[in-house]
Amino acid sequence: MNYTAPSLAEGGNDLLESYCTSPGCGYDELLDPVEGVRPRWLGVLNSFTELSTAELEQRAARIDRRVRETGIAYDIFADPLTPSQRWQLDLMPIVIASGEWRWLEKALIQRARLCDALLTDLYGAQDTMRSGLVPPELVFSDSAFLRPCKDILPKAGPLRFYAADLARTADGHWRVIDSHTETLAGIGFALANRVVHTHVAGDLFKRNNAVRLSTYFQNLQIALTAHSGRDNARIALLTPGPHHEDYFSHTYLARYLGFLLVEGSDLRTRGNRVYLKTLEGLKEIDLIVRCVDGRLIDPLELDPTGFEGPAGLLRVCRGTPRLVVNAVGSAIVQNRGLGPYLPRLARELLGEELELPDAPRWWLGDAAARRHVLENLDGLIVRKAQEGTGRPGQAALGKDAHTMSAAERELLRREIELYGARFVAEEKIGFSVAPAFDPMGFSRRPFAVRFFVARTADGFEVMPGGLAMSVDPERAVALSAPDGHTRDVWVLSDEEQSPHVSLWRPKLESARVERSQRVIQSRVADDLFWLGRYSERADWTMRVLRGALRRVEEDSGPADGWRAARTCLEMLLRNAEAPARSVRETPLDMQIERLCARLITGNAGPRTLEKTCEGLYRVAHLARDRLSFEGWQTLSKFRPGDTWLTSLGPAQPVELLDLLEGGLASLAAFNGLMHENMTRNFGWSFLDMGRRLERAYNLCEAIQTLFIPASDAEEETSRLLLLLELADSFITYRSRYRLDPSLPLVLDLLLLDESNPRALAYQLAAISTHLETLPDARQGVSLASDRRLILTLMTSIRLADVVAIADEPSRTTLGRLMREQLQLLPELSNAVAQHYFNLTEDAPHRVQTRSDPRP
Amino acid sequence: MIFDVSHKTHYRYSSAVVQSQHLVHMKPRTVTRQTMRHHGLIVEPAPAMRYEGFDAFGNPVAILDVEVPHREFVLHARSTIETALPQQIAFESTTPWDALDVELEAEPRRRDLDIIQYRCMSPVTTASLEILDYARHSFAAGRPVLEAAMDLSQRIYEDFRFDATATDVSTPIAHVFKVRRGVCQDFAHLALAALRALRVPARYVSGYILTRPAPGQPKLQGTDASHAWISVWSPETGWRDFDPTNGIAVADEHITIAHGRDYNDVCPISGVLLGGGEHTVSVGVDVSTVSPLGRG
Repeated sequence: MNYTAPSLAEGGNDLLESYCTSPGCGYDELLDPVEGVRPRWLGVLNSFTELSTAELEQRAARIDRRVRETGIAYDIFADPLTPSQRWQLDLMPIVIASGEWRWLEKALIQRARLCDALLTDLYGAQDTMRSGLVPPELVFSDSAFLRPCKDILPKAGPLRFYAADLARTADGHWRVIDSHTETLAGIGFALANRVVHTHVAGDLFKRNNAVRLSTYFQNLQIALTAHSGRDNARIALLTPGPHHEDYFSHTYLARYLGFLLVEGSDLRTRGNRVYLKTLEGLKEIDLIVRCVDGRLIDPLELDPTGFEGPAGLLRVCRGTPRLVVNAVGSAIVQNRGLGPYLPRLARELLGEELELPDAPRWWLGDAAARRHVLENLDGLIVRKAQEGTGRPGQAALGKDAHTMSAAERELLRREIELYGARFVAEEKIGFSVAPAFDPMGFSRRPFAVRFFVARTADGFEVMPGGLAMSVDPERAVALSAPDGHTRDVWVLSDEEQSPHVSLWRPKLESARVERSQRVIQSRVADDLFWLGRYSERADWTMRVLRGALRRVEEDSGPADGWRAARTCLEMLLRNAEAPARSVRETPLDMQIERLCARLITGNAGPRTLEKTCEGLYRVAHLARDRLSFEGWQTLSKFRPGDTWLTSLGPAQPVELLDLLEGGLASLAAFNGLMHENMTRNFGWSFLDMGRRLERAYNLCEAIQTLFIPASDAEEETSRLLLLLELADSFITYRSRYRLDPSLPLVLDLLLLDESNPRALAYQLAAISTHLETLPDARQGVSLASDRRLILTLMTSIRLADVVAIADEPSRTTLGRLMREQLQLLPELSNAVAQHYFNLTEDAPHRVQTRSDPRP
Repeated sequence: MIFDVSHKTHYRYSSAVVQSQHLVHMKPRTVTRQTMRHHGLIVEPAPAMRYEGFDAFGNPVAILDVEVPHREFVLHARSTIETALPQQIAFESTTPWDALDVELEAEPRRRDLDIIQYRCMSPVTTASLEILDYARHSFAAGRPVLEAAMDLSQRIYEDFRFDATATDVSTPIAHVFKVRRGVCQDFAHLALAALRALRVPARYVSGYILTRPAPGQPKLQGTDASHAWISVWSPETGWRDFDPTNGIAVADEHITIAHGRDYNDVCPISGVLLGGGEHTVSVGVDVSTVSPLGRG
């Protein structure tokens, strides 16, 4: 290929050299075969090639790191139990010039208007079907056409969100390869990509005068608030939950726009309204931004197995049709089979020529199209006409007859004959190529882009950017990108760009929307409570392990706490099955090492470190939209399969000590971040109560195990030392008493001292304070059982006389005191759960009668 | 004939239901051969909200929202319906099934979405390739559509056994087809899948059937039941009903409540509950004939 690049910076030619020699065909975004570098790329290319290769590599590495930290990639946000898509963001963006962008904007908006007009008709007069503009069987065969929404959707106001996947064919024309009208189609990924990319390449972005996204999102936020019809609207983004592949996008967007992130079970209908179940009772919701399939949103009137929205939602929508956006039922117009009919529809419904048609495609419900396809099956890909939008890049690849055996092809033919109305056939189109960065230089990678359109105050508005993903042109006909290689899309402007306005720091007008985030769903309170418990439990287990291993590894004798350590380990393994053979005959230090190994990995009961970390990660995962990104990062060690966790098992005791230090440091960082950064709302109260409750329990259990019955003086001293270490109070004790530990002083420090954040009394006082601030505390009449329990626990400790208790040789009083705490603390946990976590309203379920007549 | 129908459904829950919402199809619709004379629905406890209207298929529907905690829920529908015999026509004289395309793609019928929608498979009536083959035995090229539909209904009656324990509400038809057992809605679904695999317009009908006691036996109370069958379209007759469970063409002893694509569209009662734990249900249906002069 010949290219001339007179204004290209020194060094850029090397990068280009590799680009030109890399394989790839189709339209070249960067190079014109005759003219060389296309003008729109000159500036951007220059600003990248000016940087040294080392600098470019450094920046690429920083992007990788930010992608991981933000959680777009699998290691933080994805469900730990399902394999997930990788996510990479290339240093090089895709560049679109302002002239082309103006055309694209107009064309995309026309598509959105067309979808809107078609939806209104399909759920209203249905003239397009009667007149044959749209084949009725295409619509009726698609389970996304929701009949109960007839006459509701047209009253819901215009379509709010539209997205289209575009590819540029070999002749340089853009074509739509998929449309998305059901949900926001992963716009959060595009936003997150931009945030990460400008973090690393913001200087270049600015210098090239690329358009920012914030105005778009601001307009979107304002428009949705206006749509809800209320100034201080409570707007909920309805997500299927953490198991969903698009969940990252939902959390990211909800945070960015300041909307509540809710799941179906958080909502219920009552009369003609939808309410959020919160700690303070039911709160009315003004607008639902729907990120779940319409079909699954109301088990009463739609798919009986779908519980992703509250039962009765459609009934509510009949009276309040604007409540849900996009309106329920909107997915029907993303049916791929509509492609061939769109040009005529545009003429009839809009009175315009379609600017941006679909890539060549046949709906197989049409007899003539079916014949054509069956005769030319080899060059075509057969796919479902309707496919959920899901995460960008996950469009199914489809069936390629070219690669099939004769029997498979025959089966495909029969299926096309039978289910034709649900299938389309598509030609493989050439995708255009653009430079992707790697240390060896630029290479050609084919891609497709998702563009996003939203309804704002001035009609439809296109997000000035997009989500570009690399595809395999040999196999893909849509945005199928299993390797998750993405690129930011820069729209260059002719005009000066105004300074950056971020929605992360909302202006006063939008701040009132943000306030609703302080509402806490009962479900979230439950998750946070357990997050507190598990993080404290993990901390304690690691301290016990560290205490035991230190004693064995350090050069000391059995007298220095070996037996104390073994007692503590056995305490945590108490409910576990006994090991296969008796350990009593082996030397004490080996016993301890074996017990440690069991407490870490074995299936030895619920309190092993592995089980605890699993629980910790699971609840953190459930509550993750309430945690900061940094908070998440600190927990990444505990993700099942993480190297930290997997290296615990085979590690030698010395390495193990290092690993445990690392784990404890991560937890300390997590707790610190939560403590410093979390708003002191009810969510915080539950997180902290969980932690305090767990700590109180562990402390009482250790005291009971170590000091009842009493041991000889030497042993007791080593037990006191271990306890002080476990409770992280050794330094406090030393600075206070400068004495060898003695039981009365230690008990005073760890049981009664309300100023010691490790003391039992401190935990109980903190729980009591939280309970007092929580809503629904019945005043005057009788105390709720959680309040009664905490009062009993506190009083019993406050009345204790530690000197007398410690002097008692039988330790009867201490035993009674600890037993009482150990019995009532779990009761307190249950009482809190019953009071606040809506156990009576378990998951909604469906009941149907069946007719069973005798024949 | 004139019928009195009493349809009582009684739910009992092991723990309190906090909220229950029900979608009810119990009010018989008016169709060509049937007139609804009277209908009443008693609900206990009284719902906080009761919406009555028509669903997307034109069936009367009631939506109930019960907001008081309850451990029992009773729905009692009473209806009086008059049915007539369908128009007499020889099934052999109806249009060949493979000529329906021509009929339905020409004016004015191509505009009749109410026929065309019933040519399409719904999720639960999606035929497998085996079911398509089964259908083809009745639908030879050029065979009149109602003659073929009658044949299909009789074959299902002969090939399948009525067995209330073999299937439940969510059993897919592929399984019904495999075990050759099921209840009336399974057979209706199977017939619909077979018909729609050939793009013959066919719909699901939910209703009641008059049962007769064995000769010499008195008729027992509460032994009748809801029933399900199918309706097939031909240009000559419009919609004509067949009962694959009994292998017959429907005369005047079937009472239609509602029709739709499948059971899910017209299920008599479907409810979503919050709370309630386990539940038991007892259903009592009585269908009795009324003579013009008095009850008989």
